[in-house]
Amino acid sequence: MSPSLARKLPLVLAAIVALALPLVLRSPTYLHILILLYLYAYLTTSWNLVGGFAGVLPLGHATFVGIGAYTSTILSLQYGISPWIGMLVGAVLASIVGVIIGLPTFKMRGAYFALATIAFAEGIRVMTFQINGPRGLQIPPLTTGFASFMFATKEPYYYIILAMLAGVLALTWFISRSKLGYYLVAGGEEPEAAQALGVNVARAKLIAMAMSSFLTAFAGTFWAQFTLYIHPKSVMSLDISFEIAFIALIGGRGSIAGPVLGALLLRPVGDFSRIYFGDTVPGLHLIIFGVVLILVMFFQPRGLQEPLTRIYTRVVDRLAGVREAA
Amino acid sequence: MNLLELKNVRKHFGGIKAIENFSLNVGEREIVGLIGPNGAGKSTLFNCVAGVFPPTFGDILFQGDRINRQKPWDLCRKGLARTFQIVKPFASRTVLYNVMVGAFAGTDKRAEAERRARAVLEQLNLGHLADQRAGNLTIADRKRLEIAKALATRPRLLLLDEVMAGLRPTEVDEMVAIIKRLREGGMTVFVIEHIMRAIMALSDRVAVLHFGVKIAEGTPQEVAHDERVIKAYLGDEYAAA
Repeated sequence: MSPSLARKLPLVLAAIVALALPLVLRSPTYLHILILLYLYAYLTTSWNLVGGFAGVLPLGHATFVGIGAYTSTILSLQYGISPWIGMLVGAVLASIVGVIIGLPTFKMRGAYFALATIAFAEGIRVMTFQINGPRGLQIPPLTTGFASFMFATKEPYYYIILAMLAGVLALTWFISRSKLGYYLVAGGEEPEAAQALGVNVARAKLIAMAMSSFLTAFAGTFWAQFTLYIHPKSVMSLDISFEIAFIALIGGRGSIAGPVLGALLLRPVGDFSRIYFGDTVPGLHLIIFGVVLILVMFFQPRGLQEPLTRIYTRVVDRLAGVREAA
Repeated sequence: MNLLELKNVRKHFGGIKAIENFSLNVGEREIVGLIGPNGAGKSTLFNCVAGVFPPTFGDILFQGDRINRQKPWDLCRKGLARTFQIVKPFASRTVLYNVMVGAFAGTDKRAEAERRARAVLEQLNLGHLADQRAGNLTIADRKRLEIAKALATRPRLLLLDEVMAGLRPTEVDEMVAIIKRLREGGMTVFVIEHIMRAIMALSDRVAVLHFGVKIAEGTPQEVAHDERVIKAYLGDEYAAA
């Protein structure tokens, strides 16, 4: 067996396990935890197009989640338009907002960019309170089924978010190997050198931002249809933006596996600490995130993805009997 | 025909006059050197030509077109490539990746970019380092990588900013040979250099910049014997000698 094939085989196995899991796992609680895990892996992978490849640290992606959620929900509540169409409308809207935010802020460096994106996101969140105020929007579960994006059980949601995650991962893989991917990395690492090599850095970043916000808005609609209740705090809060950044930083920015690994590691920690310690030590998961982040930044500043990939290829090669050419 | 023409170029930063009335022509397939003491304005002049900032006054013509306010990435696509005095590799990526960024200037296809990048690496004797991380290279290899990236964009004019500073004498000779080979392949080269041995061996013509003013221009021999140049480099008391 060739080494590259051997290295891909476990990924295929993982995909099969992911597909078969709801058949074995009957507990709605665990399915719920898995759905949120995939959702955050999806969100972080979308974020990674800008925050990873383009080398900036946007901390306002919750805005795009909110725009997606509110657009599809309002369209379906007020005009009876299917959430699937609303999902697309929300995504277009989000990418327009993304470009508007990106235009002035991509000129800023480091922390200033991060702060500016927080400011934009918080501003939009406050404005969203105008829409039915702090009571939020409730989606009445009248008609279930695929067309209305509403289901009585968790399994359909599970498969939808799994498909979305697979799609966004495939897209990321494709982009990372394309001219745009090279230009984003180059512009993120050494903007001046990239420009001298023909890279319009600002344009590449704006394209990435448009795609990233477009995809992030999809997650917003999914969230709205999954919880059937949205509220500025639930779909637009800074906590979401921060958790995305946490996952990306710990998993490894700018890699394809990083966001998924980060979500796999952090989400269960968060969920189980909330389940078991939620009453006694509220907010414990944030403390754990913080400690993990500090440790990772200290020992593996480029995220856990790097050492894990190394171990992974070594183990797989050993199992497949591949000897490295000496 | 002149590939690059500089006409009365001035660059002022507030009250500081970095370049004053600089004129120079660079002909096709010529190697022109630009020398001058530290702070003379050499890199500032390169930055004006490469589009980093526009000149305050004067004209810069490339292939007959006025390029004063054009952006670096547009100029690169027109065939003007440059290296940086302080090398700027994409450190976390491989050498091949670095060069492919340049190669993408001429193609949208990954396979074609990789083919072009590998060809450039072979040309500069860097082929064996293709899979090394750029951040792990020695300074000599980083300087060569800097040239490889620029060459991968397939320029007509190459601006080299001190690509030999910090190299050992044997490495300097190697670099001189590489640049001469490039010219044989049809390239025009405009080069800033401090190492006089290299600039003398390399250049067809040399211009000397001192406090932003061109004080001499001519063949390397003419310039080396010019009294104003000796004064600029060594001070007034050495001029008589």
